[in-house]
Amino acid sequence: MTAAIPSIALVGNPNAGKSSLFNALTGARQKIANYPGVTVERKAGQASFADGRPMSLIDLPGTYSLTPVSLDEAVTRDVVLGRQEGEKRPDALIIVVDAANLDNHLCFALELLALNLPTVVALNMLDLAERDGLTLDADRLARELGVPVVPTVAVRKRGLAELVAAVDGAIQSHRPREAGAAESTDASLHARARTIARAAIVDEAPVRRWTQRVDNVVLHPVAGLVLLFALMFVMFQAVFSWATPFADALESGVGSVQLWVVDTVPANFLRDLVVEGLLAGVGAVVVFLPQILILFFFILLLEASGYMTRAAFLMDGLMGKVGLSGRGFIPLLSSFACAVPGIMATRAIPDEKDRLTTILIAPLMTCSARMPVYTLIISAFIPARQVGGTPIGLQGLVLFCLFLSGIVGAMLVALVLRRSVTKGNAAGFMMEMPRYQWPRANDIVIALWQRAWIFLRRAGTIIAATTVVLWLLLSFPRVPADNGLSQVEYSVGGRIASGLEVIVEPIGFNHDIAVALIPAMAAREVAVSAMATANAIDAGDDEQKMSDQLGDTLQGKWSLATALAFLAWFVFAPQCISTIAITRRETNGWKWPMFMVGYLFALAYVAAGITYWTAVALGLG
Amino acid sequence: MTVLLDKTPLGARVRIARIDWTAMSEAEGRRLREFGLMEGCEVTPLHRGSIFSRDPLALTVGRMKVIIRARQAAAIELEPAA
Repeated sequence: MTAAIPSIALVGNPNAGKSSLFNALTGARQKIANYPGVTVERKAGQASFADGRPMSLIDLPGTYSLTPVSLDEAVTRDVVLGRQEGEKRPDALIIVVDAANLDNHLCFALELLALNLPTVVALNMLDLAERDGLTLDADRLARELGVPVVPTVAVRKRGLAELVAAVDGAIQSHRPREAGAAESTDASLHARARTIARAAIVDEAPVRRWTQRVDNVVLHPVAGLVLLFALMFVMFQAVFSWATPFADALESGVGSVQLWVVDTVPANFLRDLVVEGLLAGVGAVVVFLPQILILFFFILLLEASGYMTRAAFLMDGLMGKVGLSGRGFIPLLSSFACAVPGIMATRAIPDEKDRLTTILIAPLMTCSARMPVYTLIISAFIPARQVGGTPIGLQGLVLFCLFLSGIVGAMLVALVLRRSVTKGNAAGFMMEMPRYQWPRANDIVIALWQRAWIFLRRAGTIIAATTVVLWLLLSFPRVPADNGLSQVEYSVGGRIASGLEVIVEPIGFNHDIAVALIPAMAAREVAVSAMATANAIDAGDDEQKMSDQLGDTLQGKWSLATALAFLAWFVFAPQCISTIAITRRETNGWKWPMFMVGYLFALAYVAAGITYWTAVALGLG
Repeated sequence: MTVLLDKTPLGARVRIARIDWTAMSEAEGRRLREFGLMEGCEVTPLHRGSIFSRDPLALTVGRMKVIIRARQAAAIELEPAA
């Protein structure tokens, strides 16, 4: 027995319920990182054997065979073969198969069994198989495969203890043998899988019809699309209205901390730095956590229920017209939360040109970092009233239009790119449609917690650092008492912004915006904290002024045309260092990120300009 | 007259008679086989695109439902199911 903690890999087909099983086994004890050199997510976690000895579990990307088509499938192959850099070969495998889809999932299982590692098969989602009218004999399956087979229902934590015990047993009793090949051809492999599946199926009622009835509506050429757009619309309305009480509570919380510090700490440099720099800046961003979580909540819900693939199916026709595939729908939809995971999710797109195009347009999807900017400006400048006599809120409608402009812009850009710089063959689109299932609360909570943590860590590091630097830039040198300029105008930051103002003035941007644009390069939401910081500095120790809502202040200083131009700018501007960095990593060089930054800034400038000039012509200046 | 999978009416069970593997890339062909789409298997085409386009095609293979593009379906020759 070695002293090292045994590592056990969960491996199986897509949609076998691997991640749910992984969550059920590890709980919240998970660590997400990347495999070195590639950008495939490595999900690892801790669990323990019955006697308390620890084991390390890894959740490998789902795949159909050991012959990979995409990058993440290659990682699965390399890990189980012990060829993945920075990852030792697993001491045992848990092959996860969908009990309701044995014919297909046993093909990959047979391939993995031929590797002769200690192995246990988890006959997962047995409840769904029973719902579908299948009765299975796990013992018979175990005899056919020659390894233990444990029936599991991850969501109800059924079979987990048995599974762990079986893994322990498999490791203890393992006799190494030479690894072989499962079968010589795909056809013979399938035939063998089918024979074994037939043997294990005791009783098979005809496939239940209700999934098909649901799909007849959801995938209907017209009704399906109407439903998809309705869902998207509800999602974005909810992001706005549900989050408000939480955001207000967070905002007043930050405000009272600021006042408490001002009241208890004597006035000095450090207090100003904390109150005007750190708290004003970071607080202004953390307030948007509720909205980001609601957006992620919807995306996770759609993914877990099986709807997301249906949406990809519906969108494939449209995306195919601009040279993309429905495969890109999920990365692009994820980009609504954040372009970074969205761009990382493009690894599932096998076609290189298709993938590159999807990466290049991903920043046009309205990410959650734009939400602080949009929310601030919309609540300050767009009245909170209903459109006509309908229950549709005007603010939500404007937000919807901003999202829509990003999408339409992205489609047009894709069309142009696919005919120029990323010219190539029509992309393929082959996907399995998962069955519908109730999303598991546990899985959603774990995923939401991971997203919240990533966001807060960003707020605590990049954003905190940027706001502090900005505060210093805007606070020094101190404006002399007899000078007519404000502190912000007089500072180093104010002077840099004055230079930038010359360039952005024609599109209606004022000094405030010029000040915000520089630090917003780090992350878009910093634009808000930058304005909050500048505002707090000008307010000085005037408590009344400091606790004024930032929106109210802007309302007094900006015209509606400027506000609209600012919104249009943020639909396109590539203001996020992380996105540029991830694009560099995903495209292996500086060529494409530079191209992306260039075309997006050009678009942003033109869009803001057109918006401003149009608004001014309409008398909104 | 041969019937191809991209033209066949929806909802009727059909058997795959022949697949022209040369009409697609190596990887596409492999993924088709991994889905279980090969000579002799029975499938039911169910949905075809949306109002935007008659592409892609969703079909059942065994207990699985998969999506392929019309271009790949056009390489699949059919015969009536047994």
